Amino acid sequence: MVKLWGAVLGGYPRSIDVRHEMRDLERGDSTYLDHEITIAISSSAVIGAQISSGLRYVTDGMLDFHDIFRPFLESWRNVSIAGLLRYFDNNFFYRIPIFTAEPDVEKFVWAKRIRFYKKVAYPSLLKAVIPGPLSLVLMGKNESGLSKEDLANSISSILSMEVEKAEKAGAGMIQIDEPILSDHEISEEDAELAKELISNIAKRVKIPTALSVYFDIPKKEVYEKIIDTKVNYISLDIMDSPSRALDLIESKGFSDKKPILGLIDSRRIYDDNCDKIKEIFTNILKIEKEEVGITTTTWFDVIPYNFAIRKTYLLGYCLEKLGNELNAEIINPIKEVEKQ
Amino acid sequence: MSYEVPKKFPTTVVGSYPKLGNASEIIKKRDRNEISEEEFHEKIRDSINEVVKDYLEAGIDIISDGEQSREDMVVYFAQRLKGYNEGDWVRIFDNVYFRKPIITGKLERIKEMIITDWLYTSKISNGRPVKLIITGPYTMLEWSFDLFYGDRREVIMDFAKIIREEILEGIKNGAKYVQVDEPALSTRPWKEEADLLKEALDYIFKGIDAKRIVHICYGRLERLLPYILDYPVDQFDLEFKNSDFRLLPYLKEYGYNKELGYGVVDVHSLQIESVNEIKDAIDKLMKLDIIGPEKVFIDPDCGLKLLPRDIAKGKMINMVKAAKIAREQY
Repeated sequence: MVKLWGAVLGGYPRSIDVRHEMRDLERGDSTYLDHEITIAISSSAVIGAQISSGLRYVTDGMLDFHDIFRPFLESWRNVSIAGLLRYFDNNFFYRIPIFTAEPDVEKFVWAKRIRFYKKVAYPSLLKAVIPGPLSLVLMGKNESGLSKEDLANSISSILSMEVEKAEKAGAGMIQIDEPILSDHEISEEDAELAKELISNIAKRVKIPTALSVYFDIPKKEVYEKIIDTKVNYISLDIMDSPSRALDLIESKGFSDKKPILGLIDSRRIYDDNCDKIKEIFTNILKIEKEEVGITTTTWFDVIPYNFAIRKTYLLGYCLEKLGNELNAEIINPIKEVEKQ
Repeated sequence: MSYEVPKKFPTTVVGSYPKLGNASEIIKKRDRNEISEEEFHEKIRDSINEVVKDYLEAGIDIISDGEQSREDMVVYFAQRLKGYNEGDWVRIFDNVYFRKPIITGKLERIKEMIITDWLYTSKISNGRPVKLIITGPYTMLEWSFDLFYGDRREVIMDFAKIIREEILEGIKNGAKYVQVDEPALSTRPWKEEADLLKEALDYIFKGIDAKRIVHICYGRLERLLPYILDYPVDQFDLEFKNSDFRLLPYLKEYGYNKELGYGVVDVHSLQIESVNEIKDAIDKLMKLDIIGPEKVFIDPDCGLKLLPRDIAKGKMINMVKAAKIAREQY
């Protein structure tokens, strides 16, 4: 019997309270303490939405992340941020990281958050999400004087320390986001570099690790490197192009990795159709018969807050429906506690 | 009163300007139905006056109404078209948001949307041409949620019909510069997407007797460029400064020969570019010998709306000074 579980992939949109609080803080009309309190309350709310949807792994919503890179860049030395660049095919922009010398860590992002929210997340497990070294290097500007490979290595060393600290603080999973691997202009050499560096990061922890690629289906040559990476799970954005995704998976499989399938569309607001998801899922079950995670296609950044919460519940609903209709074993932390 | 636009390096704006006077409050009043559409356009004139004052003092040759009526470039139109419902806030960057509207029915134009402000601005522009600026069909679709059509081409062509009607009304009233804003096109710099917009632009601009401009910004413009060169436009208005002029060699490579709206000022930076810095940017383009100075329109990367007024005006003043120096040299 296949084991089935659910998780939201990444961050949540900011609620009205968070938006206003952050604006007030920027204007100097609020204190940092007020800000922390608002973030804590709102993060707890999104964690609650995920737990009550029966999700195995949850995120703290990363409500204070301006983009996937920023908190890390602000915690490292020899990195600054510059103008805006479009974040893949979204009407969303990130600040360009500029590496001015070899980056060095000043503080860690996740350990404190994990310690703070892991009890809120119980009985689900809290996930620490980090940007992958290749995305950081290729989506930033290298003015460090280092080669691309050396810079990526240096970033990977910092991220390795980051995940160790997160594990020690009680994280339940490490997810490494490499959206740049979905770019069809990525060379095999760059994909190989990503594979090596992510494997190095993942090796540093005993908790499950996932490599997450979204916004498009990677090209075959890159996908071969992805499934060869030393992580436990591979997470893919299936709904951006379901037929291409299925073609790729049918031809290449998942190697020895377990799949996490992005089946809930987190960039559009329509209600996802569980029957359509079942159709795709049934095809995947022909390839993977032991364990499958179901997730959102990407972070919830580009839809409004209320729709993100609704989609969280839809994820839980479709998970339950799939489990029942396909006679799968659903890993639902709440039900496991109830059994005890 | 007539005004002669310089033959070389005319200066212009992309469109939006910081909201001045009571513009934001007036927009909210209209949203709350406290004032009618007619009263709204009447009341917004004080803000347009201030924008035009800044443009004229800075010495901009081809101006706009500063989009003082527009909460943003999509919501403004969504509020005035049949087939839309109000949306909720989604983030664009940092802590900046827009209310992404929702298409819930067949899209139809009810009445003119941009002509009243354009006519007023033209009256107070001391003869300087005023761009008639409208958000393009691709961007309207991409920056809305669609819960009705489910077919992108169908939505885009319905938008194209609406936009053409609006432009024709502008032309009837004397518009000489028509700009269709398509910042979203760079989100998917692929041929199929570019072709989708081309079909719409062919329809929109068919027989239009005015300077036809398309503005695109922020994204991998170098990927998009080869697919858009055959668009039925006289000018592409593009962002260069923010992306450190990365696009320039590609213009050369693809044999670019249309007019160019050359973005030399970063609209997300509070630092006012010096005259020398802007002049250097102009030199960068001219050294490549891609197009002559009569085809280069100097402007910011994009709308100036996110900047404080003094910074926005400061950037324009230096832009005009740099263009003047360049005119003497080239």
